[in-house]
Amino acid sequence: MMKTTQVLSYPVLRYLISSALIIGSLAAAKTIMHLIGGGFPAPLLGMLILLSLLLCGLVKEQQLLPCASPLLNFMPLFFIPAGVGFIEHLGLIRQHWQFLTATLIFVPLSSLILISYVIALFKGRDHNE
Amino acid sequence: MSNMWWLSIPIIITLFILLRKLNSRIQSPLLKAISNPVFLAITIFAVILVAADLSYTRFYQHSQLLSWLLEPAIVALALPLYQQFIHIRKNALLILLSCTFGVINATVVATLLSALFDVPVHLAASVAALSVTTPITLLITDSLGGIASLAAAMVIFIGLLGALFGFMLFRILGIYNHQAQGVAIGTACHAIGTAAALNENTSIGAFASVAMALSALVTALIVPLLYPFLSKALL
Repeated sequence: MMKTTQVLSYPVLRYLISSALIIGSLAAAKTIMHLIGGGFPAPLLGMLILLSLLLCGLVKEQQLLPCASPLLNFMPLFFIPAGVGFIEHLGLIRQHWQFLTATLIFVPLSSLILISYVIALFKGRDHNE
Repeated sequence: MSNMWWLSIPIIITLFILLRKLNSRIQSPLLKAISNPVFLAITIFAVILVAADLSYTRFYQHSQLLSWLLEPAIVALALPLYQQFIHIRKNALLILLSCTFGVINATVVATLLSALFDVPVHLAASVAALSVTTPITLLITDSLGGIASLAAAMVIFIGLLGALFGFMLFRILGIYNHQAQGVAIGTACHAIGTAAALNENTSIGAFASVAMALSALVTALIVPLLYPFLSKALL
């Protein structure tokens, strides 16, 4: 019988294990959300399930890398089609451009000021070590 | 034209790879932020579809395979979150608290502005989860009943503004602490801001990466509960 280390030395098997862990977490999250019927996004619950497995030590970082690395590397590509969808709402954007501009300025500005002040309160304002 | 839609995915992939190569060769932080490959790719496709009067629905249908891959990619975000988490244990509580303040602040400020401008509810929901990286905002905005694509465009613009003006703001505020700058940029300005932070200083970039990952987690847990409460009270 093959040992775990021998199994993990096969690239295809490593990729399959990595994919199974990611798809398994997503499937578990979708099943849970289907059963409880909440509005929480299933992929986010899947991320939390997988993070819990990593933190508990049940899944090792190395086991996830073969499939997770390319997925994460090309992740920006996956939201381009959805991102273009704003063209469906150009009328709404034109109608509420003042609101959207104010949001673009004040949301990040207030967060940047608040967070940097909170941390500076505990750690000081100057360059740290 | 109708039989050319199958080219959507190959064109998106080719354009994205070319834009990413172009971006990696640029040295100037200002140009690097403006030439962000996602920002440019979305802008180019938007201009082409609008100028040529092409259907977005057809474009989306024929590139749906890419959108499907977004779900396992979001699950895979557990890996960088875990990698960052094990490195910040010493400062974990302060960073987590700061990220939480940032996420709550972003949702409260956006909802207050929605009430002030008296915008439709679905537009208010579209700006409720802006303090988080784009793939997460797509999911959360959708679950809140907002326009996910508009939220994604807003998040990308916020990232660009943060990359362009974030460090100027810190100089005005007189805050030079790396942890303060990094956590603020990572939480408020996400991936594009984090890339600018890494360009500025590796220590600031490391804190920004941690904050970006943590704010994804905090947003996923808090915003779906906070926004319905705020919208009932303010809208």
